[in-house]
Amino acid sequence: MSFTHNGVLIEDTFAEAFTMWGSRVIITAATSKWAKTAANTITGFATSVISCDCEAGIEGDMSEDLTPDGRPGTSVMVYGFSRGKLSESLLARLGQCVLTCPSTAVYNGLPNDQIDEMLDIGKSLRFFGDGYQVKMRMGDGWSKQRRLWRIPVMEGEFLVEEKVGCKKGVAGGNFLIMGDSQDATLKAAEDAVEAIHKVPGVITPFPGGVCRSGSKVGSTYKFLKASTNTPFCPSIKNTIKLSKVPEGLNSVLEIVINGLNEIDVKRAMGVGVDAATKVKGVRWITAVNFDGKLGKFKLGLKDSLGGI
Amino acid sequence: MNNITLIPKKSSKIPIEAEAITPDNFAGKTLEGIRKLSVYIGNGVHDLGEFFEVTGESTEVTREQSIIVDGDVAHVKYIGRGMTAGEVMIRGNVGMHTGSMMSGGSLTVEGNTDDWAGAEMKGGLLRIHGNAKDLLGSAYRGSSEGLTGGCIVIDGNIGSEAGSFMRRGMIVVRGDTGNYTGLQLNGGVIFVFGRLGKRAGALAKGNGGFIACYGEIEEILPTYILETTYTPTFMRLYLRELSGKLGLEEATRFIGAPLSRYRGDMAVGGNAEILLAQKG
Repeated sequence: MSFTHNGVLIEDTFAEAFTMWGSRVIITAATSKWAKTAANTITGFATSVISCDCEAGIEGDMSEDLTPDGRPGTSVMVYGFSRGKLSESLLARLGQCVLTCPSTAVYNGLPNDQIDEMLDIGKSLRFFGDGYQVKMRMGDGWSKQRRLWRIPVMEGEFLVEEKVGCKKGVAGGNFLIMGDSQDATLKAAEDAVEAIHKVPGVITPFPGGVCRSGSKVGSTYKFLKASTNTPFCPSIKNTIKLSKVPEGLNSVLEIVINGLNEIDVKRAMGVGVDAATKVKGVRWITAVNFDGKLGKFKLGLKDSLGGI
Repeated sequence: MNNITLIPKKSSKIPIEAEAITPDNFAGKTLEGIRKLSVYIGNGVHDLGEFFEVTGESTEVTREQSIIVDGDVAHVKYIGRGMTAGEVMIRGNVGMHTGSMMSGGSLTVEGNTDDWAGAEMKGGLLRIHGNAKDLLGSAYRGSSEGLTGGCIVIDGNIGSEAGSFMRRGMIVVRGDTGNYTGLQLNGGVIFVFGRLGKRAGALAKGNGGFIACYGEIEEILPTYILETTYTPTFMRLYLRELSGKLGLEEATRFIGAPLSRYRGDMAVGGNAEILLAQKG
């Protein structure tokens, strides 16, 4: 079964997504350049939990009037399989990638009403201050209570929120773009990612938001838990028995989306598909699932387009 | 908000102790019930209605109860003592212990206050548009903790020993301070935009507490050591809060201003900070 959108065939299927614990931190710095540097560093090597400790990405830049300290900032989201794993990843990454980055400060980016649990991030990082760290208490008894740590560093002070919120999020929203050429497919993927980044509450953790090597579970090698998604590899489509690449199509790219909730992820899928289907040369859109056997969320492509 | 207005009928040479004047005591009472509340002169017990004309409407809910004291009550002590919610507005000067031990709500004084305003306050907002005398937001004698929460904002000047034994919360002085501001400070923050008096932070232990001075300073105790001059990010949060939540527009002028960081009081092995804004 399929339907058309912007003249492109779309398989009437769904992306199968999973529950992951997600958090959002706001990184500010003296300039936008340093905020982005820190954000790019902390989100490095965090494409997929197949081999990375977490999945992370940049949600978007924040202007001075939106950040807690009035400096340029970047909103970053990090996802882990459990609260413990997420906490470990955040701690290691903030400690190595942001604490070390000149002029940065780190704040919790999740609103109170969305938080399921709090993670002791600044509370743990404070020990780097070797006893000279200072606890910052704001709002006691008259305003919103806030706790941060001031950690002395060679440059001056590193400021970090004592606790960072996390919540059960949705990981693995996806769709595949198939085109008649590599150029057209790449252009469609770029346009899709650009559109997705306008949706708040989601990230695309792969390089530039695009994954060219989608994976399937298992492989012919016993030691490998995931391998290339052979049914979607055009270069072997006439060699393997069950290729899913239609005739005449020569390139496939996958967009993977993690978000704070199902609605945001589905909406991001919809705007991504909509943007991709506007590019000439794109012929077919589908999504990856495991027949609904593994993931908690079934995000239908048709549904997602209804939400844009 | 339901308003009860109190208009002073007569003065008294002996101060009137009127801790009954709080939204907590007024909420849920009729006007007659409010007039019957007890106030004290020396060892004599009197009805509130003897000294105030009571009009308006009360409410069952404390946080929706507002009290307006419409006149000069410099002879009345303890207004707002221990209040937990609601609003009190005093349109004139007021006596000692105003807003002491309050834990919530807001109390505004359009004139001046006497000693011990906001003493041992736990929460809420105390705003004084005029001056305050000594021991603002301090610990009572023999007590080990002064302000443990809440915020006090003074548009004018204050006397000595403000914020002594402070543990949490914030005091903001737009004018000048007397001596011994932040005496034995052990947490909490004090902002001074005028002149900071002598011996500020004496015997302060720290515990994250600091005094930030954006005006002049008379002296720094020799038991404070100069660490560095820098522009800490954390101060941006405070200055934005002062501007955004308390309407102190002048605070935004100092965002990004370099601060000299003094640490002490070394006389007691303290780790408090005095942060002095650098001029120019």
